[in-house]
Parts: sequence; structure tokens; C-alpha cells
Amino acid sequence: MSRNLRWMWCVVRKELLDIGRDRRTLFMALLLGPLIYPVLMLGMNFMTEKRMKTEQDRVLEIPVLGAEHAPNLVAHLATLGIRAVDPPADLDAAIAAQTVDVAIEIPASFAADWHAGRPATVELISDSTQRNAETPARRVRAAIAAYGQQVGTLRLLARGIDPAVMQPVAVGTRDLATEEAKRGMLLAVLLPYLLILSSFIGGSYLIIDATAGERERQSLEPLLATPAARGAIVSGKIAAACIIGMTSLLLTLLAFKVSAQMGTNAARMLDVSFAAIGRMLLVLLPMLLIGTSLLTFLAATAKSMKEAQSHIVWLMLLPMVPTFVLLVNPIKTELWQFTVPFLSQNQLLLKIIRAEPIAPTVWVVYLVASLSLAAALWLLAVWRYRQERLAVAG
Amino acid sequence: MITAQQLHKAFKTKTGTVQAVDGVDFTAEDGRITGLLGPNGAGKTTTLRMLYTLMRPDSGRVVVDGIDAAQDPAAVRRVLGVLPDARGVYKRLTARENIRYFGELHGLTRAEINERTRVLSGQLDMDEILDRQTEGFSQGQRTKTAIARALVHDPRNVILDEPTNGLDVMTTRAMREFLFKLRDDGRCVIFSSHIMQEVAALCDRIVIIAKGRVVADGTADELRERFGNQNLEDAFVRAIGSEEGLLA
Repeated sequence: MSRNLRWMWCVVRKELLDIGRDRRTLFMALLLGPLIYPVLMLGMNFMTEKRMKTEQDRVLEIPVLGAEHAPNLVAHLATLGIRAVDPPADLDAAIAAQTVDVAIEIPASFAADWHAGRPATVELISDSTQRNAETPARRVRAAIAAYGQQVGTLRLLARGIDPAVMQPVAVGTRDLATEEAKRGMLLAVLLPYLLILSSFIGGSYLIIDATAGERERQSLEPLLATPAARGAIVSGKIAAACIIGMTSLLLTLLAFKVSAQMGTNAARMLDVSFAAIGRMLLVLLPMLLIGTSLLTFLAATAKSMKEAQSHIVWLMLLPMVPTFVLLVNPIKTELWQFTVPFLSQNQLLLKIIRAEPIAPTVWVVYLVASLSLAAALWLLAVWRYRQERLAVAG
Repeated sequence: MITAQQLHKAFKTKTGTVQAVDGVDFTAEDGRITGLLGPNGAGKTTTLRMLYTLMRPDSGRVVVDGIDAAQDPAAVRRVLGVLPDARGVYKRLTARENIRYFGELHGLTRAEINERTRVLSGQLDMDEILDRQTEGFSQGQRTKTAIARALVHDPRNVILDEPTNGLDVMTTRAMREFLFKLRDDGRCVIFSSHIMQEVAALCDRIVIIAKGRVVADGTADELRERFGNQNLEDAFVRAIGSEEGLLA
């Protein structure tokens, strides 16, 4: 056993020295994630925040068809910063072309219905699939509803009735979401995916170079002619890739922490404690082993380095699957989920980001399941390295 | 000492089964250079790969210094120094680091590795390139690095697959001297080549292989005598039964 460990350690040192000499690859493997992800997340955050602000505060210019039928409504809207303008010739086309986000149509029957005390129709025109139009449409709808409410209350009072009779039930809301959970909404979708992706393929540069690359450069056969056990050789390569991957993850998380402390309000939600960073790394370590072992197996099976690299494309999509499934079909957290790769990491990272406690049983189930899968893939990679074809082909 | 007993090896390809080695049988003694001579595709590399346990023979036995390769391949690899057909060196490491890596895999101490590196570097005349990264090395410099790496653990038995392939005249001569040195140390040296003159100049014993079989086996004189030719080249052609591969 100690001999195996010595061989493994020897391979680890050589692979790290080898990639250490390749500055550009090392830079890509170690620093790309830590540099790009925080910029990406903070940038997105900044833009969302800015859009929310401007959409809430600025004066909206809304084309109104038939403004002359309801001058009081138009005046009311103007007090809320919603200014009526003349509609363009072809309103539908203007909405389709996104030159107009929202428009209002007041039919000619408005005044007659109004005076008769019937509900007078006002139509809000927008394209509900245009995310850009969401905020202005909500604002206009709220403004019109407030106007209706106000007039309704006045009408009841004029008839000597307490407006409260219209509210037999008052609905209050107590939101039990923690502050952290509320702030982590955007983060909930993206951060787990980015972290799982970085851990899943974080060791890929090194492992493809050390397996498929080694074979292509014809240094594998001499290596296998040494007394070192093949299991120890392949384990050393996997371990070296995991060291690179782990370092990259740690740097990414620290980069998030540092940029969060420099950022504004919303960026603060990226600020996680060092304890949380430690727990995230514990969640991601099995993922790193799974990804690296799987890639070792695939790259050792590939005929060339090019073929090995082509696997990255579909491997990058795998971690997205649970994110999409959860987006379309949110499910309750149950214990079995912590045995499913990608889904379990996603759920656990969410819990950590939301500062929720994680039960010891969950940890046990998760670590046993994910480390078993990693061990199975590791055995597969070792088995592949023991095959005769590996050394000879290529 | 290396003994190959009735080695057979077949490969499955898309077009069917290829019998690469079909009953190769020979013994390489200590203190002798044994040359495997044969045209390209005769099965030399496959035979050597079975000797250094990269491949398992379909049938037959390989015994190195009394150790059965099928029983304990790791022990066989410990007493062998191998320069395979594929001799890639790690480009981003220096020649010294390449040698050290293999020394560590052989379980040598740092002091042993340094001493062996010094000795081999002197013998192979590679002091000047020792601390350069091997990226950009000439073919000869790469081969020297690969040989030093293969012999770092001072093995009793040395297997070299076409060691002079792609080397210029001067380097080839130096390589020859190096092989004589290995022999005079009392080591068992096996090397393969498709160049008849080289085998004739170097080997104490010649094993001619064609189409996966040993077609002749003996000293250069014995072979000349056996085929009734004064010229070894003619004897070689008679032995393999064609001129195929001679010019390759």
C-alpha cells in the first residue's frame, strides 16, 4: 500500500510540475473561473438593479387610444408619472417591434358605462413574453387598479356605506423566507450551476493532457514499462487534476467573497462566510472526483486528444439538467434527492447559500452516495488503464 | 537472461485476425547482445512488448532472470530497462527531470538517482542538454534522454526497440559504443532492427524474424555458413525468403 502511495505521489508531483511549466494552460485552469464568474454575476446584478430602479422611477410614456373618453383617468395616471402620448399609427406593429412596451385602449363606451355605474373597460396592451415590458405593464396595471379602488371607495361613501363591507376577508402575508433566502434568489439559479460546472470539469485541462495527451505524445508506453502499478499511476493523475480543480474552486469562492465586499447592496448577497465556503468545498469535492474519474476514463478510451476534448461539450451540459428541471418543475426537498448527482449538489449548495441547516443524515446520505459513484468511476478508469489496448493503440 | 518460449500473439482488426507473432522462441544470454532482425511488420515490436510485459502472450512463456512474466510482471519490469518503440519524453520537463521521474517510479532514493544520472549522462555524452527542457530536442537528444531514463535503475537486462532509428552517423556510432559497454558490464542486451549491417556489426547472436516466426538463429558466421552465402545480406534474404522490407 505504501508503495502504491509513493508511486501515486510521484505521479502527482510530476503532473503538477508539468502543468506548472505550461503557464497559459495553468492560467486557464486556475484563474479563468475566479476572474470571470464574479464579474459575470456582479455585472448581471448591477444591470438588473439598474433596470428595476429606472423602470420604477422614470416617467413612463404610454400611448393611449381614446384618451379623450376618460380625461380623469389620464390625469390620475399623470400624477403617478405615467404620461399619456398619442398612439402610433400601427400600435400592434409598434409593440411587436418593441418601440412601445405597453399601451392603453379606452373604448368609446367608457364614459357611458362610468356614468351608469357599470364596470368601465380599460384594455392594457402588451406582449407578455417581452421581459422588458413586464415592469412598465405592472406599474400601469397597479396605477389603474388604484384609481378604480379609490373611485369605488368614494362611491360607497357617497351612498353612506362603509367601504369595509367590501372586504369581508383581509388577507395578510407573513413571509417566512429568511433574509438570506430572499437575497439569494438570483444566486439560487446561477451560482450552484457555475460551481458544479467548475468542479465537474475543473480538472479537465490536466487530465486530458495527462491521459490522451500522454498517449498521443508516445510517453505512455515507457511509463507503463516501469514497475509502477497502473492503478497508482492513474490515481496519481486523478489526484493531481483534483488538486488543480480544488484550488480553482477555492479561488472562485474567495473571488466572490472579495468582490461582494466591494459591491453594492445586492452584491452583498454573494458574501458567504468562510464556514460556508468550507462546506461548499466539501459538497463539491465528490463532484470533482466524479468528473475527473469520468473524464479520465473517456480520455483514455479516446483515440486522440481531439476526440477526448470533444467530450467536454456534452459534459458541460450535464450539470444544467437539474437546474432546468428545477426551473420548470420545482420540487420539494426529499432525502432521495441527495443521492442523485448534480441534483444533490444543487440542493446542498442552495441550502448553504440560504444559510439553512443541513441535517447530519443528509450529509451522510450525500457523501456515501457521491463518493460511491466517484469510486465506481475511479475503478472504471483504473480498469481502462489495465487494458492492453490502452498502451498499444495510437 | 531473457527466455522467450513459443510466443504467440494475434490481434483482431476490422478485416479479421492478424497473427502478429506465431511461435517465437529464443534465449538471450547475459553478457551478449542479441539482435532481433526482420523486415518491417515481422513482429519484432510485438515480441519485445511481450518481453517487457506490456502485452500478454496468447500462449507461450517469457522468463526474465528466472521470473515468469505472467506470474509477476512487476518484478520482471524491475529488472528490465526498456526503450520502447514509442519513446516520447515529457517536453516541459528537463532531461534530468525526465530521468528523475522514472528513477522515483523505480523506487530509487534521491542520491541514487543523482549518481546514476551523472554516470549515464557521462556515458551518453549529454551533460550539456541535461538541464534543458526537452522541447526542441533533436531526435538523437531525445533518444539519449529516453535511454538514460530507461536505464536509471541500473537494470541487468536491457531491451531496445530500434534504438538507432532516425539517428545520424555519429550518434549511431556513439550508440554502438554504448551498447558494447552495456554488454561488457555483463548485461543481457536485446535490440531490434530492420537494418542488417547494424545487426551484423553489433550482435553476438542474431535472431531473424519474418512473418511472426523465427526463421534463423545463430552467430553471423553460423548464419553465413548455414545459408551458404559469404554475404550476410544474401543470407538474410534467403532466410526470410524475399527481399521485402530490406530497403525500408
